[in-house]
Amino acid sequence: MSAGRGSRPLAAVAAVLGAWAAAAVLTAGSGVWAAGTQVAPKEIVIGTLYAGSGSFANSSMPEYAGLTFWVKTVDASGGVYVKAYGKKIPVVLKSYDDQSSTSTATTLYGQLITSDHVNILVADFGSVLTSVAIPIAAEHHMLLFDQTASGISLFSPKNPYMVDTSIRTSALWPTPLAQFLLSRHVRRVAVVYAANDFDQSQAQTLVRLLAAGGVHPVADTSVPTTTTDYATLLHTLAAQNPQAVIEFGYDNNDIAWFQNLSQSGLKFPLVFTIYPGLETALLLKDAGPAALAYTYTYAAPPLVAYNKVTVGLGVSAFLKEFPKVMPGGTLNFQTIAGYNTGLVIQEALATSPSLDQLALRHAVQALSGHMTTLEGPFQINAAGAQVGEPMYIAQFFPTAHGVRLLPVYPADHAQHAPVYPAP
Amino acid sequence: MSDIPPATPEAAPSPAAARRAGGAPAAVRHGLTILLPAVAVFAVAPRIYPNGALLFAMMTFLVLAQGINVIFGFTGYLPFGYVGFFGTGAYAASLALLRLHLAWPLAMLAGAVAAALLALLLMPLLRLSGAYFAIASLAAAEAMYQLVSNPALVPITNGPYGLSLQAVYDGPVSYGAMVGVLALTLAILIYLRTSRFGLALQAIRDDPASAATAGVDVVRSRALAWLLSALMAGLAGGVYAWHVSVFYPDTVFDLSFTVFAIVFVLFGGPATILGPLFGTLALYGLYDAIGISTPQYFQFIYGLLIVVLVLFLPEGLVSLLRRRGIRVP
Amino acid sequence: MALLVYSLLAGLMFGLFYALVGLGLNLVFGVMRIVNLAHGDFLMLGAFGAYWAFTLLGLHPLWALLLEVAAFILLGFPLYHLLVPRLLRSRDPEMLSFVLFFGVSQVIEAVAIIAFGNTQRSIFAPVFGTQPVSLFGQTFPAAWAVSALVSLAAIAAVYVYLYRTRLGYATRAIMSNREEALTSGIRVHRLSALAFGIGLALAAAAGVLSPFMLGSIDPNMGVDITTAAFAIVIIGSLGNPLGTILGGLVYGLSLTLMQTYLSSWSAMVPYVLLLLILLVKPSGLLAREARHV
Repeated sequence: MSAGRGSRPLAAVAAVLGAWAAAAVLTAGSGVWAAGTQVAPKEIVIGTLYAGSGSFANSSMPEYAGLTFWVKTVDASGGVYVKAYGKKIPVVLKSYDDQSSTSTATTLYGQLITSDHVNILVADFGSVLTSVAIPIAAEHHMLLFDQTASGISLFSPKNPYMVDTSIRTSALWPTPLAQFLLSRHVRRVAVVYAANDFDQSQAQTLVRLLAAGGVHPVADTSVPTTTTDYATLLHTLAAQNPQAVIEFGYDNNDIAWFQNLSQSGLKFPLVFTIYPGLETALLLKDAGPAALAYTYTYAAPPLVAYNKVTVGLGVSAFLKEFPKVMPGGTLNFQTIAGYNTGLVIQEALATSPSLDQLALRHAVQALSGHMTTLEGPFQINAAGAQVGEPMYIAQFFPTAHGVRLLPVYPADHAQHAPVYPAP
Repeated sequence: MSDIPPATPEAAPSPAAARRAGGAPAAVRHGLTILLPAVAVFAVAPRIYPNGALLFAMMTFLVLAQGINVIFGFTGYLPFGYVGFFGTGAYAASLALLRLHLAWPLAMLAGAVAAALLALLLMPLLRLSGAYFAIASLAAAEAMYQLVSNPALVPITNGPYGLSLQAVYDGPVSYGAMVGVLALTLAILIYLRTSRFGLALQAIRDDPASAATAGVDVVRSRALAWLLSALMAGLAGGVYAWHVSVFYPDTVFDLSFTVFAIVFVLFGGPATILGPLFGTLALYGLYDAIGISTPQYFQFIYGLLIVVLVLFLPEGLVSLLRRRGIRVP
Repeated sequence: MALLVYSLLAGLMFGLFYALVGLGLNLVFGVMRIVNLAHGDFLMLGAFGAYWAFTLLGLHPLWALLLEVAAFILLGFPLYHLLVPRLLRSRDPEMLSFVLFFGVSQVIEAVAIIAFGNTQRSIFAPVFGTQPVSLFGQTFPAAWAVSALVSLAAIAAVYVYLYRTRLGYATRAIMSNREEALTSGIRVHRLSALAFGIGLALAAAAGVLSPFMLGSIDPNMGVDITTAAFAIVIIGSLGNPLGTILGGLVYGLSLTLMQTYLSSWSAMVPYVLLLLILLVKPSGLLAREARHV
């Protein structure tokens, strides 16, 4: 080669520089174009992520289907009414699959904001996949519509760019559970929880409320959220002779818990878990009705049917309409939560004087206490955490073919008397 | 292993050749042609290109690839658990910010120091031969991950619940800090590529016995390279944590950091400055251009690349140039 | 006390299972001196094979196990000839095999995630009966007992092959000295390919049992399994397949004891065991390998 020493690297660097310059010009161009379209939007772009696979897929996909249902129904009626422009504007959903990975989600949230320039940012399911969106949303001054992240540590009055649309703050969920246990004089309580914000918040609240009632748990253990084997732990718990065993987990945890429990030959007078109430069909399929019989869980929509609503469809109407628009879609609490997110966005757009993100946040705040959806009364505190949309206690009862879930506590919502201890 | 001669003599230039290439003039030239443009590009890019997250990730991988290059390219040790230093740096720096309220430069330094301390603790691993060293370093990284994410340590590390640095978050400054880390990294590489120390390391890699006879302090040189490489990962980890500001243990101890960095080094060519630089820009650029939404396609391509490179081109793309007699810095 | 009995017996069952997990890795290393870093990923493939056979065809996992063992032995031959001979000619086969099979592992994992989804799956366990098994007053899932027995049978089969057949005798000759075996007329490549296939088949067999022993399977499980297999192999004795049984038992027992008494630290067991052994006895266990100066 005739080229002298050092000229090759120079050429290489020049090539790299050239490539960067070209990329920069291209993207800068598209950025200007995108900024131009924001002035008079032909459509409202809602950006969100879903977990097509991974540990949150079973919860995220129904939730995504619920949001999609809302988009389809709104567009079928000519779009969503936007007060800022005084007319209906069609809605499009821009979404990516984060595969339940926080690092993939981090990149993709950034992409939704910086490359896709979405008007509305909606988080993926749950505390884990939402938490990584919080700093990105705050940094870019985008309001994060948090669908189902309810861990109390995620909310701060200092961060106005977050609002919980569809799930009660998880620290409030166990209040009726604690009352129920105390009212039944259950003294020996064992608590197991998966180590994440959602389940930890619940475990902490339960232990605190029980302690206030003079009951101190015989076990209070956390396991990694990835746990799928409880066999040895069940034996360790059994050694404490608990009257009640409370397991707070995500759906995969609960499935493994019931599978291990039914194979272990162990029996507890009272077992409580979260997900049979939220994703009943999934738990019945993967754990079996026999394992669930007489266990307790949360009562949430659609089991609790709010039909007197001020916005959108009531539970019964939703149960009828959803399969028509989304045939074959899973319908459980998460689906309703996704639809509910759409309703909150719809009302915010209908009342906000502009598409400015803080204006939207104020609009959502103004809805608090004045709106009832199929999840019940909508109420948020100053930090944006949901304090409405209550949860009750339900129990599985054996029937001729399987089990059925009925609310049992508190009394004014009960459809059946609780059976304790389990026969 | 010492009885096997190096397969590619070009990779280990004789001391005479090194004198021709080496010394201060070469270092200055590399500084002007590689370090300065790279730093300038990344310093200016955020003003014209909106996706700062991508630029930041690319710098992170440039640093990690060069860090692996220091220990793998120059000494032949392949640290599969390299991400352990990254994660340790991330946690140490974040805890220094959150719990000790240190100023950010000191906190980042704390990250680097913590990673170096871990490297010091793991120093005995250098006694192991290739594959055992690799698997042992992986085990060390996993053990570190299990330690940091342990529920018993929630009061210190917040265990599996991750950390949030939102209170001290500063996007532009943390971006600038990563540009600084990149500059430092490239400076270290230029030093290794042009100094007697770098040559000594390569001599050890190819034949430790003769290197020792030639008066090289094998144990000390290798230990220095190991510490240097850990330091780079620790710094990168600290700045990364600060920039993403909400992270979980599995975010910063994710094995794919190691995987990516190794592929970038192998692809470009170990023991050079431009090889890993080019590998990262080309492969990570490709990764982003095609889209990140299905990372498995890249995992597949990268896996296949590893197989093909090991079987047919173990010295990376730069060896194609070397065969034509072109020197690559 | 009851808890101790429980965890010791559970540790024994897990120990036999983990011995099977490590056995294939050690056999491949013993015969070819290469490190199959994709071992855990082959195990994962075996696990998904059993999962799909059960879910789609209703095939009992034990039938799936027999079919998979045959299939993976056959798969071993083309894979061996594609990768290993070229590798053995390179300048540092042991180290490069490590990197090469790491690439293979990435490819398998990526394909598995694309094909199966990045999702945890479990086989609804009553396939081995709904009645728990009673031992010394403790109850265990029937699937654990079955898995332990199957593992024992597989280990016994490998023992019979290596020590009671002519092929096995020749294979051991390759293990002790490849060059000599070559000169004495043993068909080294054919036997090595067979050993490679058996190694993969053992991984697949352990894979079939893994949904029952580990609770669930997912395409990312490979790395953890490979590390565990390494720990087991190194605790036993590297290059000696029967030492793996000892390794498996030590590993299984320490794991269940930790899970019972110090559960939050139990996930660290494989890594710490591996590090300790490599750091404390590298010259003892790895005298041949230990690196210079």
